[in-house]
Amino acid sequence: MKLRLFAGVSALVVTAGLSACSSSSDGGSGGSTAIDVWLMRDSVSDQFQKDFVEGFEAAHPDIEVKVQIQEWDGIGEKVTAALASSDAPDVIETGNTQVAQFAQSGGLLDLSDKVGELGGKDWLKGLAEPGAYDGKQYGIPYYAANRVVIYRTDLFEKAGVDPAAIKTRDQWIAATKKLNTGGTQGIYLPGQNWYTLAGFVWDEGGDLATESGGKWKGSLDTPEALRGMEFYQELQALGRGPKDSDEANPPQADVMAKGKVAQIVSSPGGANTVVENNPALKDKLGFFPIPGKTADTPGAVFTGGSDLVIPTASAKQDAAYTFVKELTGDTWQKKLAVAMSYVPNKTTLSDAVAADPGASAMAVGAAQGHATPNTPGWAAVEAKNPIKDYLTAVLTGGDARKEAAKASEAITTSMNSGT
Amino acid sequence: MSTTRPRLRRIPLSAAAVVTVALCLFPVYWMVATAFTPARDIQSDSPRLVPRTWTLDHFRTAVGADGFGLFWRNSLLVTLSAVLLSLVIALGSAYAVARMRWRGRRQFMLMVFIAQMAPWESLIIPVYIISRDTHMLDRLPTLTLVYFMMTLPFTVIVLRGFIGTIPPELEESAQVDGCTRLGAFRHIAFPLLAPGLMATSLFGYITAWNEFTYANFLIIKQQDNRTLPVWLSSFQNVFGTDWGATMAASTLFAAPALVVFLLLQRHVTVGFAAGAVKG
Amino acid sequence: MTAVREQTASHPPPSAGRPRRSPGPGPRRPSKDGGPGVWPYLLIAPAVLGSLYLLVYPLVRAVVISLQDFGLRQLILGDARFVGLDNYGTLLGDSRFWEVVRRTFLFMAVNVVLIMVLSTLVALMIERLGRFGRIAVLSSLVLTWAMPVIAATTVFQWLFHSEFGIVNAVLTDLGFTSFDRYAWFAHGPAAFAILVALIVWQSVPFAAITLYSALTTVPAELYESARLDGASGIRIFRSITFPVVRPIFLLVFSLEVIWTFKAFVQIWVMTNGGPGDATTILPVYAVQTALSSQRYDLGSAASMVTVVLMSGVLVLYFRQMFRQEDELA
Repeated sequence: MKLRLFAGVSALVVTAGLSACSSSSDGGSGGSTAIDVWLMRDSVSDQFQKDFVEGFEAAHPDIEVKVQIQEWDGIGEKVTAALASSDAPDVIETGNTQVAQFAQSGGLLDLSDKVGELGGKDWLKGLAEPGAYDGKQYGIPYYAANRVVIYRTDLFEKAGVDPAAIKTRDQWIAATKKLNTGGTQGIYLPGQNWYTLAGFVWDEGGDLATESGGKWKGSLDTPEALRGMEFYQELQALGRGPKDSDEANPPQADVMAKGKVAQIVSSPGGANTVVENNPALKDKLGFFPIPGKTADTPGAVFTGGSDLVIPTASAKQDAAYTFVKELTGDTWQKKLAVAMSYVPNKTTLSDAVAADPGASAMAVGAAQGHATPNTPGWAAVEAKNPIKDYLTAVLTGGDARKEAAKASEAITTSMNSGT
Repeated sequence: MSTTRPRLRRIPLSAAAVVTVALCLFPVYWMVATAFTPARDIQSDSPRLVPRTWTLDHFRTAVGADGFGLFWRNSLLVTLSAVLLSLVIALGSAYAVARMRWRGRRQFMLMVFIAQMAPWESLIIPVYIISRDTHMLDRLPTLTLVYFMMTLPFTVIVLRGFIGTIPPELEESAQVDGCTRLGAFRHIAFPLLAPGLMATSLFGYITAWNEFTYANFLIIKQQDNRTLPVWLSSFQNVFGTDWGATMAASTLFAAPALVVFLLLQRHVTVGFAAGAVKG
Repeated sequence: MTAVREQTASHPPPSAGRPRRSPGPGPRRPSKDGGPGVWPYLLIAPAVLGSLYLLVYPLVRAVVISLQDFGLRQLILGDARFVGLDNYGTLLGDSRFWEVVRRTFLFMAVNVVLIMVLSTLVALMIERLGRFGRIAVLSSLVLTWAMPVIAATTVFQWLFHSEFGIVNAVLTDLGFTSFDRYAWFAHGPAAFAILVALIVWQSVPFAAITLYSALTTVPAELYESARLDGASGIRIFRSITFPVVRPIFLLVFSLEVIWTFKAFVQIWVMTNGGPGDATTILPVYAVQTALSSQRYDLGSAASMVTVVLMSGVLVLYFRQMFRQEDELA
């Protein structure tokens, strides 16, 4: 009898698994369409998400929205798996630099004919251009942000440093040195904050990779790029940022919230997270643009941001489009920009955040906005980021020239192997 | 034979034993200790071996995290069904190999050994494609089947050894007494085999309980169907610097395995290896 | 023995269940009901059918992919084109691939040697311990063994954390001030060493416990007589202990070879193959190529090469196993 019992039990367990599965597969009820939306971690606050979903469902009672928050770690693979599946999520937020690669694969819905309806002529270039591939628009601009310096007003005061006077790199270094005493970290700059490095490299006139004759080549080993690295190293030493991790691990906003950190380099939205984690710091945070080499040009920054895409495998593309249209429409864009200190997706909406100190600091930097190379091959570089390894290697005592050559070669290989 | 040895000579031996125990247990201890240490003390520049004060906060954070109970249940469900399935199916094969003479027996065992080498990490794309085309993505039974296949070869190898340790004469005499072959196996061999089955199932249990890659890649949209390892690996992202909560989550994840192993320790150490010995 | 070499040098042929050659071993003892008939085939049928669908079929698909031009586009749209052995050509012509192969063998060798030596020593030690010590050591081994891989990996990351890790704190306290905030995972050799430590730590319990059980089967009289003859400890081990445990030793050895060759999760979660390529071994390389660079074709080709290489290492073991099966039959 025992054997039969065994088989019976295992069959039971298996069927239990089956039924557990089917019960959760469909959240929709009645005549409404349920759509699955993937948003990235920290791209919107819980409160905004709640407000938006409630507002959206009130306006469109026939659509039910299920938002899932995705982690940035390993997101490329996750989205790939989703796009290739037969039952993909209906709307996905992707980093603006990642759209090209997915568009090239044929997994995204071509939204070119909707551009007019969505007001595409006013879109930010830094979001709209990476969202297009081969003349067609796949990614709809969602929000943009670039990095500024977030500082602690109280620590600056105590050290007798005037943030308004920091206009050049030299002044920045001098001020940070002054702040970096006792238990206070002058700046918390994790070793692998490669977007910040990219800014310094652009300041010097270098770039991450250059194209000639259709071939891309890593260019971290140019003299300009090496000067950018030198400055990064100098700045990084004025605090206790870990040399072997990036700003997400640990989240630098957490670090600033918990410790005595005078400055971090972050998008202004980071300030909200700091205050969320430590309400005592409310009203004690200020912003200034990343200083450039000279007082008249602010530092170059990476125009970061996200686009929304609709997978071709989505079964509810109409409802998905309705969602995209609402979230990227003027009403919610203004609210989003205010709530998260983002740059709204249209140039015509920038007034919405004019009163916000973080956003205005960001706007100064945005004039010097740069993008990563707009080619499907770039995503492969970010997937296994050799720039991060390069940063860590140099910061922990490696030879910059040698490591830069190695990293450039890795970038070249990655960019040309993906396609 | 140890009684004849002078006491002095046992000192290096005891020292070696102590070192072994310490090396084995320290990471486990450190995980548990960190999980109970207040956040303030965790992030101090001079960590202490024994926490000064104890707290349950981290466990509250971990248990309170989204979906913890659900993922626990998923993991348990997938693991148990995979292990049971592979035990039942492996038992038949192991019996055939250990007790019967037939053409292709050697080839079969060779295939089992080769199957043990299967490069599962590289089969993920084909398995993904096959699951997609048969509408099995996002479903726990898919994971069950994969885990079943992962553990099957090893289960066959070990069970064959176990069955080999049971004298066939016992069954034969039962057959003389009028039992059928199956009846003889069921009444005589099966009870003797119980420890072996338990020990073998532990291996399958550990493999399935741990599996990460497939769980991460085949469960895409239905995040309610995620399993604990995937959750744990994302835990660090979710909780960031909160190593205390991460360690508490790890502790809770490891706990079932640790408890089961400790309870079955005698069977694991004696039974399991006895099976392997004869293999 | 040609059949062994032939079969292990390639992936398993789909006809797993059916014999290619009929060795026809005579029954050891006459069976009451006149030969097993179809029973054995019925008994192995579920296992064979399951393997055909869940293992062989995906494997065949993987081989097909490795012969196609298969990227993200083909994964989504499914219009892959055959390119013959092009992917293998690209792979074998890539110096980075050979670097990874070299590292894989180094990784495997270091791990397996450490595991086998340490677990043999531990097994011998357990045998000599008193009752209390034996239980203590066995329990801690079992606890280590039961520790889930992901949990263990997370704990090791925490132990070696550059800022708050206990290892750096202890080393600094001991006077090695250069370890103050030392970034372990930023240095290739250090990251490599941590992974080796982790894998050895996880693998020793299984090996040691199995070897210990094998040791307990050595008849005590053999030891007694050897000691009476005045044989030294090393001599006893070589001429009495080892021959008895040799089959188990080989089994454990080959399993460890397979397991370390396939070590993936620990590396993937801990270092992702970095820094640079310092901890990239073949399975990691295959997954990186497939999933991160979206060259599923190259990734599949790399896995096929991995299987062939691994079989090469184990061919000796298979010969041994085959001979044993012959003796049993």
